[in-house]
Amino acid sequence: MKRICSLMLAFCLLIPTGAFAADLFIAQAANFTPVMKEIIPAFEKATGLKAQATYASTGKLYGQIINDAPFDILMAADERRPNKLFADGLAEKPFVYAKGQVVLWSNDKNFCGDDWKATVVNDAVKRVSVANTETAPYGTSSMKAMQAAGLWDKVQPKLVYGQSISQAFQFASTGSADVGFCAYSSVFTEVGKKGCFTVVDEAPPVIQAACVLKSAPHADAAAKFVKFLSSPEVQAMKLKYGYK
Amino acid sequence: MDWTPLILSAKLAIWTMLLIPILASPMASLLAFGRFKGKSLLDAVVTLPMVMPPTVLGFALLVVMGPRGYLGGLWEDVTGDRLVFSFTGILLASLIFNLPFAVQPLRASLEKLDPRLLESAAVLGLSPLSTFFRIVLPNCLGGLAAASILVFAHSLGEFGVILMVGGSIPGQTQVASVAIFEAVEALRFDDAFRMSAALIPVCFAVLLIINKINARRA
Repeated sequence: MKRICSLMLAFCLLIPTGAFAADLFIAQAANFTPVMKEIIPAFEKATGLKAQATYASTGKLYGQIINDAPFDILMAADERRPNKLFADGLAEKPFVYAKGQVVLWSNDKNFCGDDWKATVVNDAVKRVSVANTETAPYGTSSMKAMQAAGLWDKVQPKLVYGQSISQAFQFASTGSADVGFCAYSSVFTEVGKKGCFTVVDEAPPVIQAACVLKSAPHADAAAKFVKFLSSPEVQAMKLKYGYK
Repeated sequence: MDWTPLILSAKLAIWTMLLIPILASPMASLLAFGRFKGKSLLDAVVTLPMVMPPTVLGFALLVVMGPRGYLGGLWEDVTGDRLVFSFTGILLASLIFNLPFAVQPLRASLEKLDPRLLESAAVLGLSPLSTFFRIVLPNCLGGLAAASILVFAHSLGEFGVILMVGGSIPGQTQVASVAIFEAVEALRFDDAFRMSAALIPVCFAVLLIINKINARRA
């Protein structure tokens, strides 16, 4: 037994885990993950180049980039961080690659009327989840919608905050929060299909911008990828996952 | 600067430290003195929160403590309040993930207890209750102190679990570690630095106080 254990341990130490060689490194905001997982194979097929994406929150990726992480493109979940990189001379001019929409999602079919404003003030709704209103773009957009509807003060005591839009969705999908301000894209997930949603028209669209980094080790591949993003093929993928 | 997250963290750590002996002591005695089938199984279950990644434990607790989980549902029926996203909720979570940190030192000190001491006490006619207070407790103070320090420090620093079941509500569940994380994410490095800097002397002072109390008692 001991011998088997030590053999297995030695084997674990020997497994190579070095980085794969790729022609393009993408820093992708996590909310866009399902779409990116379809875009990359299509891009690889079209160009013969190998692309690899790292999925994390925009803030973390931004932090890595200003500390010299070797990415070629930042695909952010907002406009703020790409604009800041551009202003600081670290990136080329940002461009918009996707627009997201805030919806009010619930596991409970009783909480999906025509009007989200009536739902959030309903006394049966005890907890409303929302993404961090300061750091997460969807959170900011949700807050603006509540403010525009004049409900911010009323709903605030019910709010619970997720660190990201996916955590806000997680709170709602486990039923810990009765309803949640979520991304329209989460409606298309397995769990999302089991619930119901109302579109929050008052919420400004969440604009996701991308930028090619000045320090990009693979500038040519990055340019090809940027061009590929505006192809009809990618447009169709975005629509399929609830992005415009 | 807003001190609420720091105060909340201290409150959580102190409550956890005060309440955890109620849970940990019977468990530790069972593991130290008990002779029964499945003891190693119980040992593994108690130690599990120490090994599991905090986010995994947090997600499990979120499901169990949510209004549709066993615990959360029962709680909501009895009290009418929601268990997740409340201070009581994060306190309960804190007690669960701190359990192994309290059980292990307590168990070690109980196992070190000389059985002859207990036998002599029984021969001399001491009741089990006074045996506990006059023999077991004074001999286990070291273990209890170690457990308290570990639990206090650990709950002050806990992040993953509280993030999951807390929902970061200012004044209720937004503890210092969560507030610092959010400040960093929002690029408010000044706030993050101030809160972190404030946390260090607080931790240091509490540990000094605990050490002093133990030195006096021992």
